[in-house]
Amino acid sequence: MRTYELMFVVDPRVADEDVVAMTQDYRHMIEAGGLEITKEENWGRRKLAYTIDKMNEGKYILFYIQSQDGTTKLHEVEHRMRQNDKVLRFLTVRTDLDLKRAGSRVSVVEPPMPATASPAASPAPAGPPATPVTAGSPATAAPTAAPAAPYPPGPTVEAASGREE
Amino acid sequence: MGRPKKVFYRRRKVCKFCADKIDYVDFKDVKLLQQFIPERSKILPRRISGTCARHQRLLQTAIKRARHLALIPFTTD
Repeated sequence: MRTYELMFVVDPRVADEDVVAMTQDYRHMIEAGGLEITKEENWGRRKLAYTIDKMNEGKYILFYIQSQDGTTKLHEVEHRMRQNDKVLRFLTVRTDLDLKRAGSRVSVVEPPMPATASPAASPAPAGPPATPVTAGSPATAAPTAAPAAPYPPGPTVEAASGREE
Repeated sequence: MGRPKKVFYRRRKVCKFCADKIDYVDFKDVKLLQQFIPERSKILPRRISGTCARHQRLLQTAIKRARHLALIPFTTD
């Protein structure tokens, strides 16, 4: 038996209903391939650590997938995701071997609470779950990040390099 | 007598993952990974963090996966 985790990031401009529809779509695809989805997590809107196609946020969906007979049709799902430009990023990870090796000694990941419905709230678009994530370096980059410039020259650069010495 | 002998106490570094009994480093565990990416968002070397070789390897893949999904930055500027 193999287990996988499939996580993907959706364009934040896609409405929540459409994200759900997309998720259902992929879910059906995965299940049609004889795989079982043991768990689904919707992390909701979340700040990206760097801009992707001029976007600063993304909606994160996560599938936990189980394959009984070891056959996988996941590459077809991946293929579809690659063609869908609403999907900014995706990642499939096979986890059974690593988890078996680790036994019960696994780091505990609590899924961040799905962001509360605040579609256009500018000061805290990602809601409370994003704050611990952005507490480090991305927070310093965020205010200076002009959408067009991939490497915005910010005052933080000088400050950071000065402190390194 | 001579000068008082200077005693250096060097804190022994312990692998965090061994201490916390974590054998699978999850790429989704941003809070954990963030402890190993300092200001410049580089991966903290083992000689600094004290992570053992095996766990550093696991950590490395986890960080790279998280980077791909934009959970963690590649670089900070």
